[in-house]
Amino acid sequence: MSQPKGLGDGGKTLKEVLQENRRLYAETGCYAGITDPHVLQDDPVKAELFHSRIMSALISGRETCKMISGSPFVGEVAELCMGLYTPEGDNIIQSTGIQVHIRLMGDNVTWMVENEYEAEVGINDGDLFLANDPVIAGIHAPDLYDILPIFWEGEVVAWVCTVIMDMDVGAVSPGCMPATAVERGADGMKFCCEKIGSNDTIRRDFEIKIEIGLDLADLFLLDRKGAVAANIRVREEVKNLIREFGVDYFKSACREIIEEERRAQVARIRQRTVPGRFRDVVPFEIYMASVPASWLPAKKDVIRLIPMQMDILPDGRAVLDFDGVGEWGWHSFNPTPKALWGGLSISVVQTLSYDGRGNLGSLLPFEIKTPPVDSLFNPSQVKKLAMANPWPSVIDVFSLWCGMLGTAFYMRGFREEVFNYVSSSGWQLAGYDQYGNKRPMLGGNTGTFGAGASGVCDGVDTGGWIATPETDMGNAEIFEMFMPEMYLCRAFEPYSVGYGRFRSGVSVPTMDMLHRITVGIGSGAIGCAHDRIMPNIGLLGGYPGGKRNTFLIRYHNFQEMIEKRVPLIHEIGHPAEFTSQEHADVFYYDHMPPTIEIFDKEVLVCDNASAGGLGDPIEREPRLQKADLDNGQTNLDITRRVYCIEASYDEKAKEWVIDEDGTRRLREEKRRERLSRAVPVEEWWNRSRQRVLEKAIDPLLVEMYQSSMKLSEGFTREFKAFWGLAEDFTL
Amino acid sequence: MEYSKEELKDLYDGRLTWERVKQIMSHPKDDDRFDKYIDILQERVPWPERILLPLNEHLYVVEKDGQRIVKCDCGYEFGDYRRNWKLSALIFARDDYDKLHEVFPGGRSPNPQFCEVREFYCPGCASLLKVESVPVGCPIVFDFLPDIDAFYRDWLGRPLAQQADLMDLSYDTTAQWARKA
Repeated sequence: MSQPKGLGDGGKTLKEVLQENRRLYAETGCYAGITDPHVLQDDPVKAELFHSRIMSALISGRETCKMISGSPFVGEVAELCMGLYTPEGDNIIQSTGIQVHIRLMGDNVTWMVENEYEAEVGINDGDLFLANDPVIAGIHAPDLYDILPIFWEGEVVAWVCTVIMDMDVGAVSPGCMPATAVERGADGMKFCCEKIGSNDTIRRDFEIKIEIGLDLADLFLLDRKGAVAANIRVREEVKNLIREFGVDYFKSACREIIEEERRAQVARIRQRTVPGRFRDVVPFEIYMASVPASWLPAKKDVIRLIPMQMDILPDGRAVLDFDGVGEWGWHSFNPTPKALWGGLSISVVQTLSYDGRGNLGSLLPFEIKTPPVDSLFNPSQVKKLAMANPWPSVIDVFSLWCGMLGTAFYMRGFREEVFNYVSSSGWQLAGYDQYGNKRPMLGGNTGTFGAGASGVCDGVDTGGWIATPETDMGNAEIFEMFMPEMYLCRAFEPYSVGYGRFRSGVSVPTMDMLHRITVGIGSGAIGCAHDRIMPNIGLLGGYPGGKRNTFLIRYHNFQEMIEKRVPLIHEIGHPAEFTSQEHADVFYYDHMPPTIEIFDKEVLVCDNASAGGLGDPIEREPRLQKADLDNGQTNLDITRRVYCIEASYDEKAKEWVIDEDGTRRLREEKRRERLSRAVPVEEWWNRSRQRVLEKAIDPLLVEMYQSSMKLSEGFTREFKAFWGLAEDFTL
Repeated sequence: MEYSKEELKDLYDGRLTWERVKQIMSHPKDDDRFDKYIDILQERVPWPERILLPLNEHLYVVEKDGQRIVKCDCGYEFGDYRRNWKLSALIFARDDYDKLHEVFPGGRSPNPQFCEVREFYCPGCASLLKVESVPVGCPIVFDFLPDIDAFYRDWLGRPLAQQADLMDLSYDTTAQWARKA
């Protein structure tokens, strides 16, 4: 009896193709064992044409999707991306967009291959697969991966995948990425590489499930149709390419594109960085005690420490190690080891592989050591957990990773490449919108944070959103149609800045006044993980951007204010005075507000902070500060107090004038002040050590260190070595 | 692709237009950048020791009397490069609201019960070398321990005359402090 023919190259099964390529990589260190790449080099013009045709297909596919989808997340903030993959799931080329998911989508294909989909589920031309389960690979359930195989003469020659962040997957309120979710079921619908259609058509029974199951069924289904159309468009262009270039060239060129990028990435690391050991720490705050979770073990506050180390090796590879990370918990913030690759994917395309060639090869020189089992990054109970919000700690980790890499660029003289980023947190809602529909609501407003400073100029204002490099603040008018809100603020917030010789970009707070909402609840939308502790994102002597804040404004008598034409609040002003308003009560919430009732005409405020400044602020060139003063991006208080620059406003010329003598005097005074107030580190160490010995630090921090020590001998050893503690010392 | 030293000086001093900076960012990187960078830095410091590697805006790993030490551009010496230079710096810890509000007023301030903002200054010139924002009780971070021998030998192709074992010497210092305490 003859064996059934496999769907892979030469009649092999896809699993055999996968195993063979992994073996060849392990044996040679070259992708798919390509030790002598020549197909592309033999005819560079042909190779360039080939690459650009695929890239164009992916980008135009993405645009196609935007035309079909009705979601402002797709149209306004670019939360989508496409990739072309090898038969076993290795990324060849990616479109622009939310490139976090490029490797993760491929991991889903690989998972299907490993799990015998070929034999047990069936993979046919025109089959539509859908995935969004981080247990397999992904960030969180709202990120939907639409996956389509590309066949040529009965063989799977590639896959095309599209990711879209959907606004509703049926999760518990507030719905999109609920911080209240702690158990798996609360995340809403999960699709484990589920076949949702065939012959390029979504199954009717799947549509019915969505129509009945989701509040925003129309948006969800339009997103699917947009993604399927995009995938089909790319598939057909790939078939055109195969007709034109030949299938053998297609197969060889696709694999060589990955190997070429792997080699290029190693060369970039060797050209632009310095080998050695880089270290940093990320504190991650999770305040669940007041969150209405029905699984009671979840109701507690914890802080987790995430030590991170990157070793850039002499051979040009880099190893990331999170030894010392604390334990997982019953909350929606535990990333999986694969999610860490998502953070690296998006960071790599903005720091090293930004020439449009980013693919799996960009990641092959990197290794992420498997985090300790039962740590925050590797929870053994992952199948039981809600996974709505693993993004915050991933953002924080890779923000610092960008800073580490930036330090390396700086040391090699490529100061123009230095930067880091930050994220923020805000509000998400559920309730009845202005059209009378009950549904989850999440605003965009992603491109509002200032990016970290560069080593040669100030950071980009409102340009610090890492997830997708091209996002901006979006059209407020579109979100106002989609959400029962009116946007009240588009003013730069000077105190958001990370100060330095070069400052970070300036952030813009969001102030969204609820308008025509009935029955509303609000809760935190968690994009960052800090409230009491600022992230360590100051660069080379610069300060981190100040702490971000979440507020709710409740006017005493809104209607009367309108009738008397009293100005509404529309900017933060001085941070020490914002909570004292004449006509309103201002309530402060930490970065993850528990579920609260909200009412029409209340204002939800996300007071963003920026990433890091670079260098000593008192070395900032006054001309740069004058420009900021003239442009309204800073004020005289900051100019004098932080930068020690004396300036005055020339009413006649309508511009700021720098007082050079006054500036010199202020700066000399600042240096004297520093020397008089600072102490040798040994003196500080003795004082601080005593606090550790006496356990005179907050119990949450004590528990945080205990948690890291529980999982790591190395962390315990180094903690004790730094503080000079006896081996039998316990916190 | 290569740039003149004069243009690189302007780049580092923030004097190029954004359009030119963007061009430099987008173009393939220049292979001779490190050597020109070191030349520029060496011209700018008032002392003769050879710079092996800049660490930040003011500190350099330099070769001095057969040793590799960290040195500030003002001339202050921090000791062996394998020992975290921060241990030889001055520190000002913003560990209460008054000190934090000087930089981060009102709601911009972290909570000092949980967070300490440590400023490390050069004892020689009072330059702010690093701001570290970490949980209270967190050991000082040793940001970067360079593998200088591998760098010069394997990446630049010109090994240094004297080799040094790659090891973290910081804990020798804290052990000494503990013995004194």
